[in-house]
Amino acid sequence: MTMTSISRARRTYGAAMACVVPLLLVAACSSGTGSSVGEDGEIRMMVNLTDNLDQAYWESLVKPFEDKTGLKVKIEGPTGKSVAESFPQQLAAGTAPDVIQSIFPDDDTAPELLDLGNEAWAKNTPMFDEYALGDKHYAVGVGTQTQSLIYYNKSAFKKAGISKPPTTWDELAGYLPDLKKAGVTPMQTAGDYQTGLQLQQIYHPTLNQLHPKWQTAVSEEKLTVGEAYKPAFEMYSDWIDAGYIAKSDAGLNPSQADGNFIAGKVGLYTNGSWFAATLNKATDLPFEVGVISPPTADGKAYPGPQGATMANPYMIRKGIGDEDGAKQLVEYLVTDAKAIEAQLGSDGVFRKDSGLKQTDIDAQIQSVLDAAPELVAVGEGQGNVRLPVTGFNPKFTEVAQSLYTGASPADAAKAIDQWVEENR
Amino acid sequence: MFIPAVLIYVALLVVPVIYAFYYSFTEYNGFPTRVPEFVGLDNYRTIFGSTDMTDTMVITAVVAVVGAVLVNLAALGLALLLQRTNRFNTFGRVVMFYPHVLSALVVGFLWQAVLGPQGVVNTMLEKVGTDSLPFLSDPDWALWSMILVIVWSLFGVQLILYLAGLQAVPADLLEAARIDGAGRWRTFRAVTWPSLASTVTVAVITSGISLLKTYDVVVSLTGGGPAGSTKTLAYSILAVSFPQRNIGVASAQAVVLILAAAVLAITVLVLRKRAEDDAESIG
Repeated sequence: MTMTSISRARRTYGAAMACVVPLLLVAACSSGTGSSVGEDGEIRMMVNLTDNLDQAYWESLVKPFEDKTGLKVKIEGPTGKSVAESFPQQLAAGTAPDVIQSIFPDDDTAPELLDLGNEAWAKNTPMFDEYALGDKHYAVGVGTQTQSLIYYNKSAFKKAGISKPPTTWDELAGYLPDLKKAGVTPMQTAGDYQTGLQLQQIYHPTLNQLHPKWQTAVSEEKLTVGEAYKPAFEMYSDWIDAGYIAKSDAGLNPSQADGNFIAGKVGLYTNGSWFAATLNKATDLPFEVGVISPPTADGKAYPGPQGATMANPYMIRKGIGDEDGAKQLVEYLVTDAKAIEAQLGSDGVFRKDSGLKQTDIDAQIQSVLDAAPELVAVGEGQGNVRLPVTGFNPKFTEVAQSLYTGASPADAAKAIDQWVEENR
Repeated sequence: MFIPAVLIYVALLVVPVIYAFYYSFTEYNGFPTRVPEFVGLDNYRTIFGSTDMTDTMVITAVVAVVGAVLVNLAALGLALLLQRTNRFNTFGRVVMFYPHVLSALVVGFLWQAVLGPQGVVNTMLEKVGTDSLPFLSDPDWALWSMILVIVWSLFGVQLILYLAGLQAVPADLLEAARIDGAGRWRTFRAVTWPSLASTVTVAVITSGISLLKTYDVVVSLTGGGPAGSTKTLAYSILAVSFPQRNIGVASAQAVVLILAAAVLAITVLVLRKRAEDDAESIG
């Protein structure tokens, strides 16, 4: 072998090693099992951290449990933007927590989670059956986040000569010009995620009266999303054309929309029960707040079905070190009276027939919830009532925003149907 | 020292790209318990067959091309103005570089507060009795607003590159041009611009690649809206495909982005080479 060929062979060997060794290192460093253990047997719980639900809140919530059982609970915030984004990333990295709060199971995550269907304590928790996947129950919750609410400015209604809140679409449409004449924005909407969310929220009761379990109907190809939502697109489009909804709302930050309502500049504002926490914090509101369920379809009973999601859901990861400890923790969080009370008062969380002392706004939301004939799945759906696609809400927002930028209701219906077909 | 450096380079840069290529031919949710399933070119068919995704590619191309031109024009223009060293110019350079120091997310939020429907500009317009402008609520306006905000936040680095490039322009050539009676524009065209060729190449490629990856400003300024009009490919990968655990499609989109960056870099290099060859043949 000549020196040149030896040198070439060495170079080839070096290049091969440079490619292979890092691959081996990467493979060796990845766990492959998705398991991780907290220090000294502590239970790791990933929670949603917000202004209202901060680290101190969560630590004080689990403190009685730690004192009673001697188990340690480590509260962890999401490592990414949200728990929904962080949990799959951590599962992939093998660093996922033991207990996960604030998100729901789906087909991908379900195999990684523990079925709580046989736990006696879990069976009476709110919306337990609504969130079943097949016959398995991976999530248990504390209450309900009520999704379909219209907050309205009672003082502006009075000034506009409106004596009672609307229960039909005709009534609502008739009030909008009066509110405009009274000098307020008749209906406040916002950009970002909120455009699509609000359109869905205001239409949940009607949609579920006209097409019960509509997500399943779409899954079974008996209905399209465009057909289901076209009447709502038409109403929105008319209101945008008439100036009752500002076109510029498509670029408005949701917190500015909240601020407009709080400042008394708005007649009607569609939002979820979590907005009550913001309103309760705002002292000295310049008007009286009313809360109602949205109007229902012609000839149908009022109030209609209420869009709802399980509030403070907890799930346990399968294959963790201390499965029993994690179950005890979740049982405490969803059944202990004081733990429930602390969570109900925290962030717009409600529970049917709760006897908790409430603010006036909370009491109105509680009445809407108690009067609802049915709690129905929202957006992409939940449990066994689901659309055949993922990522529905962001796409729906895009389509809803197109109504503000000149698309016709028919175009919007076609666009959402096309997307569903492409992603089914 | 050579082998460890190569190993680190390969582990941190080559291996992830190999994985991206591999995943782009699979259906995979990223979970360790699931084995990636080989699906051939399905993910590529998905991204090129979906109007939603092809729209994001068009928007990304517009942002990259228009943005790169504007970034480099602004940076070169200002570099020419600020090339002499004096107190004012030193201060000017610091001010011009300042936007680049800010996180792109902060830049987006900041400009949202300025350009939003209830932002500083529209509030002032309303106060003087003029109609507000739809900077972020009209699809065309939003795209242009976003491009200008990105240009504002990016051009600081290109400015430094051009300032460095201008220092390297041979002084004797400039003086010779002046003695020959060449005006400013002629001097720039005949002496400065050719001397800046390698700087321009680097500046255009780096700014183009940065613009192809536009994500943070989209998140904080427009959220991809209104009606998806500012949704870039990087935004679609990070805010849509990955959260949906569509690792195969996200990887295919990432591969397309890598190829686009490669095409951009090669195009600029080829154009420069051709220009140099033309210049030599004339000379």
